Amino acid sequence: MDDIKTPFHEFQIGFNVISDLITPGTRVLDLGCGTGTLLQKLRDEKDVEGCGVELDQEKVIRCIERGIRVMGLDLDEGLIGFPDLSYEYVILSRTLQQLMNPERVVREMLRVGSKSIITFPNYGHWKIVLRYMITGRTPVCETHPDPWYKTPDVHRLTISDFREFIRKLGAKIEKEIHIIDNVPVKDALLANRRAEWGCCLISAT
Amino acid sequence: MQERAVREYADSDGRYGRVDTQYAEFDGITLETGFFLGPLTVAYETYGTLSPTRDNAVLILHALSGDAHVAGTDETGRLGWWDAMVGPGKGIDTNKYFVVCSNCLGGCKGTTGPRSIDPSTGMPYGPSFPRISIGDMVNVQAMLVKHLGIERLHNVIGGSMGGMQALEWAVSHPDAIRSAIVIAATARLSPQGIAFNWVGRNAIYSDPARVCGPADENSATRRPGRGLAVARMIGHITYLSEETMEVKFGRKLKLKDMNGYRYSLGENGTEGGEFEVESYLEHQGSSFMQRFDEDSYVIITKAIDLFDMEGTYGGLRNAFGKISAKVLVLSFNSDWLYPTAMSLDIVRALQAEKKDVSFVELDLPYGHDSFLVNAGMPYLTRIVRGYLNGVR
Repeated sequence: MDDIKTPFHEFQIGFNVISDLITPGTRVLDLGCGTGTLLQKLRDEKDVEGCGVELDQEKVIRCIERGIRVMGLDLDEGLIGFPDLSYEYVILSRTLQQLMNPERVVREMLRVGSKSIITFPNYGHWKIVLRYMITGRTPVCETHPDPWYKTPDVHRLTISDFREFIRKLGAKIEKEIHIIDNVPVKDALLANRRAEWGCCLISAT
Repeated sequence: MQERAVREYADSDGRYGRVDTQYAEFDGITLETGFFLGPLTVAYETYGTLSPTRDNAVLILHALSGDAHVAGTDETGRLGWWDAMVGPGKGIDTNKYFVVCSNCLGGCKGTTGPRSIDPSTGMPYGPSFPRISIGDMVNVQAMLVKHLGIERLHNVIGGSMGGMQALEWAVSHPDAIRSAIVIAATARLSPQGIAFNWVGRNAIYSDPARVCGPADENSATRRPGRGLAVARMIGHITYLSEETMEVKFGRKLKLKDMNGYRYSLGENGTEGGEFEVESYLEHQGSSFMQRFDEDSYVIITKAIDLFDMEGTYGGLRNAFGKISAKVLVLSFNSDWLYPTAMSLDIVRALQAEKKDVSFVELDLPYGHDSFLVNAGMPYLTRIVRGYLNGVR
């Protein structure tokens, strides 16, 4: 399993995929923005007016040191105070699987942003499924690097799960990009079994 | 090599050195109540050099008991009240910024206040000093800033009452600042805050040493009585967290040979206090008596009590509509006097008005006073330095 490539851990590829979806000069809200790497890239390359939300104090301070606008808030409490449709894009990168209440947060994203971009590790990858079948234990792999008892990734979802979830929210997936062996592929065939990561552009219908 | 390292440390984290308070004189100011207060003196200090384009000025706003002496040493060698934050290479870098700090209106450290002479009587104002507001304090600061030839401040920054002033600057002088840092503050004092201030003022009012009625010639030289000390003790309890008190004092006793706590009455039916926490409060109270004025305490706490942007403007969103500055709101999770929820009220109203607001709740255990405690300074320094750097 260790041979599964993890493009989103090598920030650039994942960030490039997101960056390509974003129109220059727009307002972008990055949820779980970490130290502000993506927002800095978007500011420098796409001239976006960015804002991050991050709970970890050290990461929040790093954002401020980078000149990134940041709100030190807990995403699981929703986006209280953020006005409706106040951002062109709301990004949730590599964080969905860590939220206590993903449904609430994604509903909030659809309220605050015209479009939302969500990336997540795909638990439906054939190697993960195979290992699960053979060993009968929760697989540890590069997209899910920690054992079940000490991981921030509390949800293990597949690309198919995500499609169903967005449909149930009454929202629409406008674009799907799948990362397969480090390469972004648009609407890949059998993505649920082949992709390590999913990246979707969604909007309220 | 070692010597060089030492010198570099001194250069990057050194003290500002000796600073003297300066005084600016004005004809006067029309207060928000309509009362004309004049003549007006403003005590202030400056640090660093104003750039040729006059765009690097930072105004620091002190809290209730502060003064213009924010950094460096004065003629007696006393360190500034935020020396850990302000100086060469520090969070507010005096090599980069022209830093201004003034004593607030109604204070007792050189700016016109109750100890100043009332021209209509030739005597100090004393308790008859006119009622002032946070807005009046800010208007006086704005006069000073203009007097110094600064049209637009790079930043205004303050904690507690200073944070209220920073917010007031953003609201009532929107074009005069590029950014504001509002620390441990609120847009409206809570009833709990009003209650503590009321008890503090009552301690002063109940003091038999207090001079009532019109001021006389003695009030210029008289020293406040114990009432002010008690007010300060109450204040200090509200500035600290329960955790800080536990860590700092616990149940430790002042005298080590005492076998447990024994309540003992002193000569006048009073007691000196046996616990270290009592001793600490006593020290804070009595040293405050030496350095502060009770009428200033009354006037300033009253201004804090009356600060209510929600009431004044009919809602915070109305108040914040005209703000053009970037705003950073900072709170401390151990601050129970001005808790994070109050900072979030400011943040959410700014968000609703689509202003450029950032927010950080710092995990520091020192209560309301966290912004003054040296142990929290590394975090605060990085935030303030980074934020000032990011303001364009």
